[in-house]
Amino acid sequence: MDRAVAEFDRALSAVDGRAATSLVRELLDAGEDPLAVLVDVIAAGQRTVGERWQRGEWSIAKEHAATAVAVSATEVVARFAERTPVTRGRVVVACAEREWHALPALIISSAMRLHGWDTTLLGASTSPARLSQCLHDVGPDATAVSCSVLGALPTTRRFIEASTTAGIPVVVGGSAFGSDPTRALALGATAWAPNAQGAVALLDELPAVVRRAAPLPREPLAEQSAIELGHHRLVEVLRGRWSPAARAAPDDPLARKLFSAACGEVLHQALHAVSATLLTGDPRPIPETAAWIDRLLTARGADPRLAAELGDVLASTLRDFPTAHGLVVRHWADGLVLQGETAS
Amino acid sequence: MTTSEAKAVRAGSATEHELLAEARLRVDLLGEVTSALTGSLNLRRTVLRLLDLLTPRVADWAMVVLVDDTSGLTLHGGADPTFATSIPRALIEGTGVERVLRSGQDELLHVSVELDSTEGLDTMIPHPRLREEAVELRPADVLSLALTARGSTIGTLVMIRGAGRGFPDDDVEFAGQIASQASIALDSARLYQERGRVASILQASLRPPDLPAIPGARVSARFRPAAEHLDIGGDFYDVHGAADDWLLVLGDVCGKGVEAAVLTGRARQGIRMAAYFDRRPSAVLKALNDVLCENDSSRFVTVVCARFHPSPDGSSAEVDIAVAGHPAPIVVHADGEVEQVEVAGIVAGVVPGASYTEVRVRIEAGDTMLMFTDGVDEARGSDGFYGMDRLLGLLPDYAGAGPVALCEAVERSVVEYLDGRAHDDIALLAVSCER
Repeated sequence: MDRAVAEFDRALSAVDGRAATSLVRELLDAGEDPLAVLVDVIAAGQRTVGERWQRGEWSIAKEHAATAVAVSATEVVARFAERTPVTRGRVVVACAEREWHALPALIISSAMRLHGWDTTLLGASTSPARLSQCLHDVGPDATAVSCSVLGALPTTRRFIEASTTAGIPVVVGGSAFGSDPTRALALGATAWAPNAQGAVALLDELPAVVRRAAPLPREPLAEQSAIELGHHRLVEVLRGRWSPAARAAPDDPLARKLFSAACGEVLHQALHAVSATLLTGDPRPIPETAAWIDRLLTARGADPRLAAELGDVLASTLRDFPTAHGLVVRHWADGLVLQGETAS
Repeated sequence: MTTSEAKAVRAGSATEHELLAEARLRVDLLGEVTSALTGSLNLRRTVLRLLDLLTPRVADWAMVVLVDDTSGLTLHGGADPTFATSIPRALIEGTGVERVLRSGQDELLHVSVELDSTEGLDTMIPHPRLREEAVELRPADVLSLALTARGSTIGTLVMIRGAGRGFPDDDVEFAGQIASQASIALDSARLYQERGRVASILQASLRPPDLPAIPGARVSARFRPAAEHLDIGGDFYDVHGAADDWLLVLGDVCGKGVEAAVLTGRARQGIRMAAYFDRRPSAVLKALNDVLCENDSSRFVTVVCARFHPSPDGSSAEVDIAVAGHPAPIVVHADGEVEQVEVAGIVAGVVPGASYTEVRVRIEAGDTMLMFTDGVDEARGSDGFYGMDRLLGLLPDYAGAGPVALCEAVERSVVEYLDGRAHDDIALLAVSCER
C-alpha cells in the first residue's frame, strides 16, 4: 500500500489521469480493500494537493487539475462499488451551497455503496430546494452532508432543516465541523462522522425517524444573517482598510498576482469563520482561520504581521455586530499565538 | 385564580384536573401528528413518521396497511418500523382487513391469552411475522382504523395495546382523529409518488446524457438548470461518434423549464439523425434549421456544433466548428493565451434555407476548447452581467488544467458571482487532447 500511496502521489503531481486510474484499477484487481484505496490512497493523496496549494507550491490551476485526477480515480472505485449488491437502505449524499469540493462526497458515497447502501449523490454546491426535491422523491433512510469549508455551514443548516422536517436523520462530516461533534450537533445534525469509515458505521445506528431540528438561537442567527447578506459590501470594506498588496514582498508579477488572489480568498474566509461561530456557538473557527490565513500569507512571502492586522481590521469592520465583534476581539489572536508557538 | 383557590380545585376534583391534563396531551399530540406528517411528501417517510408518533405513546404496536397501485397491499411497521412487505390482495379476502377497507368502518377486537384465540389476529394482521409479534402482546385490544382521505379508503391503521391495557371509548375516538389527519397526509404522499414516478421517467429521458469516453481526448460537461431542483432545462449537450470522428454539440432552445426541456430532447435527436447522413457541422446545422422551419414552430434553437478529430497519438486534434446563433467556443491555450473562435451563423428555426459556414481550428497538447451557453455571460450579479470579459479573464488561470477543472472553475465562478440570485440555464462542454 505504501508503494501505491507514493505512486498515486506521483500521478497527482504529474496530473496524469491515466496513471492514477490504472493504479487504482490494479489495486482493486489485486483484491485490496476498496475502502482502504479510497481513504488511504486517494483521500490521503488529495490532502497533500490542498497542502501544496496552501504552501504556495502549486497554482490554483494545478491544484484543480490534480483534483480532477483524484476524482477520476475515485470514479473507478465508484464503478467498482456499483457491483456490490444493495443489502441496506438508501442514503442521499450531498454538498451544500458554496461547497465546491465534490471529492469527499464522492468518496463517502462510494464507501457507503461498498457497504450495501443504495446511494444517490448530488454534486457540488447543491441548493436546499434541490436536496428537498430529492428527499421527497427518494425517501432515503438518511442524508449525509459533506462540508469542508466554513462558508458552506449556513446552507448545511438549511440541509439539516430540509432533512429533519421530513423526519430523515442527517449525518454530517468534513473539515468545516472540526475534530469533535460540537458544531454538527449545534446545527441540529443527528450525528457527526469523523471520517468515511465513521460515517458508514454510523448509518446502522441512526434512528428511523428524527424530529425537526430545533430553531437556532435567535440573536446570533440574526447577526449571522445580516453579515451574510452584507458579505460583498463587508469584503469591499475589508479590502479598503487592509492593504496587504502594498506591503507584499514578491516582486515578480506572477507571484504578486497569486498573492493578491490569496488575499481575496482570505477576506471571504475571515467572514465565513465569523458566520460559522455565530451559527454554531463554537468560537474555534475564528482562531483556526486566523492561523490558516497566517500560514497562507507567510508562505507567499507576506509580512508576518499581516494576519494580526487583519484581525484588527475585521473587528473594527464588524463594530455594528456586537457578538461578532466581541468574538473576533477575543479569539482571533489566539490562532496567531498558537501559530507562532508551533512555528518556533 | 389565587393559589389557595387552585389548591381547592385540585383537592376537590383531582380527576377533573387529570382529565384536563390528559386532554391537553391529546391536543398536543394531534397537533404534532398534523405538523410532523405535513413535513414529508414521500410515502415511505410519511408512514415511518406516523409509526414513530404512535408507538409507544398511543399504542404498543402499530402497522399501516396501504392499498398500492398494482392492486396489492403494502404492510409497514410492526415491532420494526422500517419493516415493509407487499402481499397480494387475494390474501385478505374475507378478513377483517378487507372489511375495513371496503366499509371504511373502524373495528375494535379483544384478543385473550388463550392459545386458540389468535383467530382475531389472523383476520386483522395478514402476515405471519407481524402476527407473531402481536400474539406476544396478548391479552390485547386490536384497533383497526380505516384510513379514509378525500372520499377513498386508502388503507388501514392497526394498533395494539397489550397486557390488558385496552382502548377505552374516548381513546378510540382520539385514535380516529389521528387516523383522519394521517389519511390526508398519506394520500397526498401517495398522489405525489404516483406523479413523481411518471415525471422521473420523463425527466430521465430529458436529462443531459452521460459522456462517452473519446479515445485520444478528454471531455467534460456541466449543466445547472434555471430550475435547479428539476434537473432539466432548455440547455443541452450531446457527444457522439466513433474512432477519430466525434461530434460535440451544445445548444440552447428558447425558454426554460419543462417546456424547453421537451424541445431539447427533439433537438438532440434531430441533430443525431442529421449527423447520421452528413457529419459536417455546417450540414448538421442546415438540416436542423430546415426541419425546425418546416415544423412551423415559433421555437428556435441556438447551437454550436464541433466535429473533433483527435490525432492517433492523442497529442493534437483538428476541429471543424459551425454555430447557429450561438456564442463561438473559446480555446484556452496551454500558455494561457485565450481566443474565441471566429465563426458565426444564424439561429436555427427562423430563416428557411439558411446555410452555415465552418471553420477549422487546431488544438495542441495542453489546449482546451470550451463551449458554453449564454447562461454564463448573461448571469446577473450585483455588478450587472457576468460578461465575456470576466470569462476571458478567468480562463488563463486554468490553462493546462484540462476540461474537468476548467468546467468546474467556470461554473463555480458564475455561481459565486450570482450569489444566490436566479439564473438562466447554464451549460458547459469542454474538450482537450489526452496528452
